[in-house]
Order: sequence, then C-alpha cells, then structure tokens
Amino acid sequence: MNSHNVFERRQSPSWGWFWQAFTGLGLVVLLALHMIAHHFVAEGGIRDYAGVAEYLRNPVIVLLEVLFLVTVTAHALLGVRAVLFDFGLSQRTERRISRALAVIGILTVGYGIWLTWTITQAI
Amino acid sequence: MPPHPLSRIRRAAQWGDVRSRGLGMIAYTLNRVTGLGLVVYLYLHLIVLSLLAGGPSSWDAFVQIARSPAFLVLDVILIAGWLIHGLNGLRVTLTGFGIGLRSQKVMFVVLMAVAVVALAAMAVMVFSA
Repeated sequence: MNSHNVFERRQSPSWGWFWQAFTGLGLVVLLALHMIAHHFVAEGGIRDYAGVAEYLRNPVIVLLEVLFLVTVTAHALLGVRAVLFDFGLSQRTERRISRALAVIGILTVGYGIWLTWTITQAI
Repeated sequence: MPPHPLSRIRRAAQWGDVRSRGLGMIAYTLNRVTGLGLVVYLYLHLIVLSLLAGGPSSWDAFVQIARSPAFLVLDVILIAGWLIHGLNGLRVTLTGFGIGLRSQKVMFVVLMAVAVVALAAMAVMVFSA
C-alpha cells in the first residue's frame, strides 16, 4: 500500500486533502457547539421559532453559525471532489469540477447568509 | 491511450467493494458512505431551514414533526453517521500527517468503540429530551 503521508503524495489533490482535514478538525468544535446550542440545551430537543429568533439576537452567535456553514460546506464539497477525482478524469475536467463545486459552495453559503439575514430582520 | 470508460468506473467504485478486503478498506468505505450520506443530509437540512423564512407558523409546524418518535429515530441514524465519520476522520487526519501509522487498526477499533458508546448515550438523550 502507498504511503498515507500527505506530504509524500505527488498528485494535485493534496491541497484538497489538507483543507478537508483542517475543516474537519474545525467541525469537531463547531458541530459540538451546534449540537449543544440547538438540541441539547433546547427545550424538547429543537428550538421553536421564538427560540431561534432569541438565539440569533446575539451577533456572536450569527458569526459562529456563518463560520459553521462555511466550514461544513467546504468540507462536504471537498469530499464530493475527492470522490469524483477517483474517476481518473482529465486535468481539464478536474478543473471544471473544482470550479462548479466552488460555485455551488458560494451559492450554498449565500443562501445560508440570506436565510439568517431574513430571520434576524423579521424579529 | 485513455482507459476504457468501464474500467475507469470500476476503478472509481473500488472503494465500494469491501469483499475480502482488509480493515483499512472497510474504514475507508465507511468514511465515504457516511460522508456522502452527510452531504445529502446537509442539503436536506438547509432546504428544511427555509421554513424559518415563512415565520412561526411554518417552522413550528415542522418542529412538531421533528419531535415525533419516528423523526427521532432518523436523528439517531444521523448522529451515528457523524460520530463514525468524525472519529474515523480523526484517524485519517492523524495518519495523513504520519502519526500512528503502525497503530491504525487499533485506533480504528478503539474509535469505533467510542462511537458506539457515544451513540448509545446520545440516543438516550434524544429520546428523553
């Protein structure tokens, strides 16, 4: 079996691997916070609308939620990229996939920010 | 000459075939299956969250469904997914940086045992909330 050491790899996806590991470690902390805040301390295991509105009044919380969204989206799409790159595609196709996934990532984060903004404006 | 399309698909799908493979391949497959499942969940979750834009009536109607026992079973499956993926991911990260290469199998077994214990504890929490 080949070496698992990322720095000994010669293929181009190694930066993707590094960022996936980095965002993965970040998710350990961010997902723990998300679970505690939204489910473990929330009455009935999930916040109702009033509970969500109350929670999002804190700007630090809004920032943390957006950071969580960016991190989880990057991690998820880098994972999809790794699965697709296993198909042994041409460099051109790989570049197209990377670009398409970047667009999907930006749209995803944009949607999340729009939704958060909409809720904070409604309260 | 480029590889035949079928062989390319076979090569890309190799991780899905765990027959007569070692523990390492099973760990790799487990990480991909849970990972892809979590990507699907992430987007379902984001779509459901759009109900918040509809105000209290639409979100609180969903909250009622989310608190039903059948939905809580789905929550436990989700927790199992991210516990397996997260703990196995820690092993992948460590070994990727050259740490614990020789104790990978032990690490995998220990981390999955941790996942089982944590899942049991969280399942109790989910159903008693």
